[in-house]
Amino acid sequence: MDCHCLDVAQDCIKVLQKKFPESKRVGRLEAMLLEAKGSWAEAEKAYLSLLEDNPLDQVILKRRVALTKAQGNISGAIQRLIEYLEVFMADHEAWRELAEIYVSLQMYKQAAFCYEELILSQPMIPLYHLAYADADIVLDCFEFLEEKLESGMQGVLYTLGGLENLQTAKKYYASTVDLTGGKNNRALFGVCLCTFAVAQLTKGRNKEDKESPELQSLSAAALEKDYKLRAPSKLSLLGSTLRSLKLSS
Amino acid sequence: MGGVSRYEIGQNAYIKLVLHALKHKTSAANGVLLGRLSGSDASPVVEVTDSVPLFHSQIGVLAPLEIALIMIEEHYGAQGLSIVGYFHANERFDDAELGNIAKNIGDHIYKNLPQAALLLLDNKKLEALSKQKEMAPVMQLFTKDASKSWKLVGSDGSSRLLLKEPSANIVLMDYISSGKWMDIIDFDDHLDDISKDWLNSELFK
Repeated sequence: MDCHCLDVAQDCIKVLQKKFPESKRVGRLEAMLLEAKGSWAEAEKAYLSLLEDNPLDQVILKRRVALTKAQGNISGAIQRLIEYLEVFMADHEAWRELAEIYVSLQMYKQAAFCYEELILSQPMIPLYHLAYADADIVLDCFEFLEEKLESGMQGVLYTLGGLENLQTAKKYYASTVDLTGGKNNRALFGVCLCTFAVAQLTKGRNKEDKESPELQSLSAAALEKDYKLRAPSKLSLLGSTLRSLKLSS
Repeated sequence: MGGVSRYEIGQNAYIKLVLHALKHKTSAANGVLLGRLSGSDASPVVEVTDSVPLFHSQIGVLAPLEIALIMIEEHYGAQGLSIVGYFHANERFDDAELGNIAKNIGDHIYKNLPQAALLLLDNKKLEALSKQKEMAPVMQLFTKDASKSWKLVGSDGSSRLLLKEPSANIVLMDYISSGKWMDIIDFDDHLDDISKDWLNSELFK
């Protein structure tokens, strides 16, 4: 079904049906085939009837979310996913899906909340730290742009409040670097970006934030080392990128 | 006052974007358009000479985008080219809406170039390519008009988005059937493994 070879899938299901006539798993496959064909209403009916016998079947509940999303009903998908997570709050895949949906809708606060849940339950997984930092850094820009527009100060992107989110983001990029032994380039870049943004914000003010200036230079050095080794043709590009990020007060 | 701009997209730029979207069928994909403004005041042309596929995951986050844009502007600036637009392919087949993320990035590009183009992959047209020949690009063009909102261009029948090489769709179909989309590299791939070349310099050799 993943390759959209629906005829092959149909044949396989027929064979399985003969061998396991009462099987729920085959029933699920049939419903998924309907879903793959785009027969939304029939797929929904099939899933609902399967749920009657087994209302807590996680796979089917998640298929219903996918079904809703595939039909373009994103808010419906979010609603179903939230309901699902109220029962199955340890389902990491579901939290990740919800976070990604929120990011695609630019609902960064909500995405950050999902990543917080993931980090709480699985603190050693660097991906979640990274994604949280990424969400945080955007939150800073959009949240405070909204505030500033409300108070009539257009064109001012960064504020003191932005500083907090940037510092949080930097912490989580740093923890990603820690968890991945300095090998995650996204996190290294993240550290550099945050440091630059923080420096922009604290320009001309008393530098309360003098924590770990080595962090940026170490990250930059790590990036340079990696590029030199594995992407030498891009090393000069990296160099100028890092230089443009060091341009602060 | 200048005339209404035409947009001409080069074969390699065009193919890279579509192949990228095809490589990541189950998610949204995006890219930037590089080129220059030419033609006369009366009939300006935005030439899209190259493109860089950007991301296929977590498209709404800023940090990787900022890094990508710095590097891209640096690299292409040295060749006298600049970012002239943005390309987006929606996650779902039947979604033909220009989303907010695309508009936000478009706004950013518009600040430097009022003729900035937003291109949205037209999934139905792409599908139809395998059934009948088509000279027009399988994309919808959006530009920002005086009302400061992104409007679809060409719904009145005028074609302001053209393929520079008329055979580009034929070459595209060729690449699709040979599975060339597997070779395309985007910025996401580069961030995960920096030995991967987001310039795709070897792609068409």
